[in-house]
Amino acid sequence: MRGAALTTASFVLTAAVVGHAYYQKKQFYPSVVYITKSNPSMAVLYIQAFVFVILMGKLVKKVFFGQLRASEMEHLIERSWYAVTETCLAFTVFRDDFSPKFVAMFTLLLFLKCFHWLAEDRVDYMERSPVISVLFHLRVLTLLLFLGTLDSLWVNFAYHSTLTKGATVQLVFGFEYAILFTIICSVLLKYVLHTIDLQSENPWENKAVYMLYTDLIMGFIKVFLYTAFVAIMIKIHTFPLFAIRPMYLTMRSFKKAVNDIIMSRRAIRNMNTLYPDATPEELASMDNVCIICREDMNTACKKLPCNHIFHTSCLRSWFQRQQTCPTCRMDVLRASVRQIQQPPAQQPQQPQQPQANNMPQPGQAMPPFPGYPFGSHPFSREQDSPMLPLEVLLLHQGSRNLPLLEVTSNSPRHRLLKSHRQRHLLLSTSKSFNFSSRDYDRAIYNYHRCTAGCTRYSTKCNAWDAWNASHATIYDASSFSNDATIWFTQVTHLA
Amino acid sequence: MSGPEGTCFEGGVFPAKIIFPTDYPLTPPKMKFTCEMFHPNIYSDGRVCISILHAPGDDPMGYESSAERWSPVQSVEKILLSVVSMLAEPNAESGANVDASKMWRDERELFNRRAKEIVKKSLGLDKTDTS
Ligand SMILES: [Zn+2]
Ligand SMILES: [Zn+2]
Repeated sequence: MRGAALTTASFVLTAAVVGHAYYQKKQFYPSVVYITKSNPSMAVLYIQAFVFVILMGKLVKKVFFGQLRASEMEHLIERSWYAVTETCLAFTVFRDDFSPKFVAMFTLLLFLKCFHWLAEDRVDYMERSPVISVLFHLRVLTLLLFLGTLDSLWVNFAYHSTLTKGATVQLVFGFEYAILFTIICSVLLKYVLHTIDLQSENPWENKAVYMLYTDLIMGFIKVFLYTAFVAIMIKIHTFPLFAIRPMYLTMRSFKKAVNDIIMSRRAIRNMNTLYPDATPEELASMDNVCIICREDMNTACKKLPCNHIFHTSCLRSWFQRQQTCPTCRMDVLRASVRQIQQPPAQQPQQPQQPQANNMPQPGQAMPPFPGYPFGSHPFSREQDSPMLPLEVLLLHQGSRNLPLLEVTSNSPRHRLLKSHRQRHLLLSTSKSFNFSSRDYDRAIYNYHRCTAGCTRYSTKCNAWDAWNASHATIYDASSFSNDATIWFTQVTHLA
Repeated sequence: MSGPEGTCFEGGVFPAKIIFPTDYPLTPPKMKFTCEMFHPNIYSDGRVCISILHAPGDDPMGYESSAERWSPVQSVEKILLSVVSMLAEPNAESGANVDASKMWRDERELFNRRAKEIVKKSLGLDKTDTS
């Protein structure tokens, strides 16, 4: 509302200024001269130009993005602040070149930067959005094409200008647009990866690897550009203060990308070479559900040094993200080093020791794990005492055979909860669908896979829908006696 | 989700959304309260900030050890349980809501009063109705 009022005010003022000038001079050219000579008139026109830029931004936003999500907006504002401060710093370096044209070019740069960031966020969002419309693809592709063309034109222009006129402020612009161009390239690559992933029926295992390599290559190009830019700037001007923060961030993310790739490659190599395949006896002796995909494990399973077993493919996907055991969080890279150093006879017991006394008997529903969820929380950190796990046991109880989750814990944080009474989490529905905790998790998972375009799980999805339709609640069994209650109100995808 | 008994959030019923990524359970879901909340570990837009919902790689607060982070072994119940514990016992060190952290640390009385207001709002009772 306020925005609209300000816009209208600026239009009225501009009309007044132009009208007044024309009324005074009666002809086009003298009016222009009159306006440019008068400072207040020019101020009004500058404000008008600024308003035009904002209106233009809104229009482009409407065309290419539609409604912005809250997180995108937040991101945009935060990054704009940094960009504005850095631009002000850049002004101090180039104060000799300072002119309205210069300001206009910086504004344009900032304007285009905003759309690069938004494009980045939008494409990242593809991964979390179950339904991608044709309009979405159309918008992203045209936007990327549009921004990419502009960036390359600017880089080209800056390059020629630097060649003919020597190093001016155009150098900064050329460099900034080159960086933006790399952003567009990486966004485009990620878009292609996400699209391929969405087309395929089953989750694409190698996507995470390609994502890592995309980050690596783009990180490398950016680091190279920044280094070259700073070197040139130091040579011809002074140290470009305004480039420090983005340069540092780029270096850091590049280092992280390199690290991620090395670690995940090492973990996957270890998995393929060091860890044994799980034998059928081992699979039979335990609850043989893979904790990652919650499917039964029959073939192609690997046993980690901590004796936890997973599907090889699931484990690979996990190692691309983290190099720990999903169940007990043992660092597989460190463990494998230890394993090599240990004499073979001691191997089986050694890595298991840290949580050996907490291990449940096979057949119990869920294995406990150290530190869950607050074992090493700042509030409950007990330096000398060992971490006590929160044990979650599945019990079947009651005439309706409702599965009951009993939670016992000795962690100080849970003593508080226990002090009221033993916590009983009961999973139930108001109709006759009864799900065990595992079914429940699986239902959510399958529901998710289903809406993400996977048809393989459709039968389970129906069960979930029925379950969901009956307004399922997880609630505390003792809520009848006034204990704490958890209502699980909604499982929704981000709208 | 209802506020744990014996805490300042007792009696409140707080609606929340859990958003699952496409590669769940490899990456953690996100949780967001859809009602007004005032709590050190909940952002003003409702996003919940607890270690169990963070992937071990990213560390926005810079101090959490990876032992408390997301792993596929975590389930929705565990998340909900963690959030209930968080309501019962905020962690002022990882302040998602700086004002709330400060108030929790220094002016507990004021914080409790503020929490009571939130509870009343969550139940659809206006401040004027009860006073
Ligand atoms: Zn699996
Ligand atoms: Zn393990």
